[in-house]
Amino acid sequence: MFKISNATGGYGKTIIIRDVSISVKTGEAVALLGRNGVGKTTLMRFATGLIPSKSGLVEIDDRTAPPAPAKRARMGLGYVPQGRFVFPRMSVAENIAVAAASNGHDAKETIAELLLDFPLLKPKVDDLAGGLSGGQQQILALARALAIKPKILLLDEPTEGVQPSIIDEMAGVLKRMNTERGIAILIAEQNLDFCLSIADRAYVMEKGSIRMETDRDRLRHDKALQQELLGV
Amino acid sequence: MEPDYLATVLLSSLSSASILLIATLGLAVVYGLMGVINLAHGEFLMVGAYSALTATQIGIPYVLAIPVAVMITMLIGGVVEVLVVRRLYGRLFDTMLATWGLGMVFNQGAVLLFGTVSPGIGMPQYSIRIGEFSLAAYPLAMIAVAAGTLAFVYLLLTRTVYGMKARASIQEPEMAQAIGIDSSRINMLTFAIGTGLAGFAGAVLLPIIPATPSMGLFFAVKGFLTVVVAGPVALTGTALTAVGLGGGASVTASFMTSVIGDVFFFLATALLLWLYPLGISSKWRRKL
Repeated sequence: MFKISNATGGYGKTIIIRDVSISVKTGEAVALLGRNGVGKTTLMRFATGLIPSKSGLVEIDDRTAPPAPAKRARMGLGYVPQGRFVFPRMSVAENIAVAAASNGHDAKETIAELLLDFPLLKPKVDDLAGGLSGGQQQILALARALAIKPKILLLDEPTEGVQPSIIDEMAGVLKRMNTERGIAILIAEQNLDFCLSIADRAYVMEKGSIRMETDRDRLRHDKALQQELLGV
Repeated sequence: MEPDYLATVLLSSLSSASILLIATLGLAVVYGLMGVINLAHGEFLMVGAYSALTATQIGIPYVLAIPVAVMITMLIGGVVEVLVVRRLYGRLFDTMLATWGLGMVFNQGAVLLFGTVSPGIGMPQYSIRIGEFSLAAYPLAMIAVAAGTLAFVYLLLTRTVYGMKARASIQEPEMAQAIGIDSSRINMLTFAIGTGLAGFAGAVLLPIIPATPSMGLFFAVKGFLTVVVAGPVALTGTALTAVGLGGGASVTASFMTSVIGDVFFFLATALLLWLYPLGISSKWRRKL
């Protein structure tokens, strides 16, 4: 359903990821693991089209994705970036509305639906997004990505700097989106417990390449592997 | 002091503040909102004035000449964005040089096409009496025009889907693209709206300020100061600053001389920027 084939790219002349191939099947949740600086964020940005591709291919919904990030979003690619990047001088409602409207969905309906999924945002709906706490902004970034009604959702370090109660809520929502609405998920994380609670399968990255592919059970039980790959 | 004199001074000062606001709204969009220093802003105002003048000379009624001027300046603004400004986003100094040069080209182009002196168009000869004083109605009507234009721009940017896309594209350009906004098209439109507002100002102020090739300079200087003092909450801040600085300068000028009025304007600007280096609205929790 979602596929990155032979991705090579980086910033300017610096190549960060080399010949990376991964795939996510319809309705599947997959984790992307690895220590800091192995190229997880670069791979995510490659997938969205925010960094130009040196070579390689991205397929969304079994169709080859055009280079423009906006077109990829409209094909069903949702993206929650590391560091949230909500629109700070827009209200919570507008952050969701603009994403919905840009993809031809009714803004009011989408806001109402997402406030049911994220009751935490309800009292803040008219506040400026820039004034929210880090955890609230993370939830809003997730709601904004869901507002485009994605087929595949990319999440980059969603638990970074977020309080534990909100992490639990986020895990619950993601699990539900995945199982009930069939949204495929690719999640880059350092927090192994969070990943294991959502993903069935994982890719482990090292030095800009995929080092191995593994499943949840093996990751959960193989302490030596955890230690070696993630430093946990 | 006579109450009718006082009322006259207040009304005419509000009118000159409104004229400043009309001339500055385009800058509030292009500089205040988009962060693009367009040093050709004054020249866009001049192009708007000449467009309206030329339109009336070929027989188009003045009321229709205004939208003609807006369309021409929006069109030129769109082309300038694609050819020049788009390539220089985030490069402040290069943008300044490029638009400054563009302004000179417009300026000299106007000298070649129209000469340095051009006929004004007659101001509608209505006036109103307050006590023993008489005020021309057209400059007073600019109060309503300023309020109307401000409301239009505000609603356009806060209540429409385009407005949300425009603000999103400016605040987080990458994320705007990543949620499906074609931000380069939206930015072109926003820049064109800014230059169109300058063209509107030139056209609607034509009966008060006749078209000359260098007319833009005066408004560009005061306009930039106003927008810089206003700070990040571009529209509300600019409206308040234009009324405060422009109105204050005009009141001062009525009681003393116009030179002292200008001195007031520049001293107040310096004082405000000393107190609020990031603009008076830097701590406001407002969208626009």
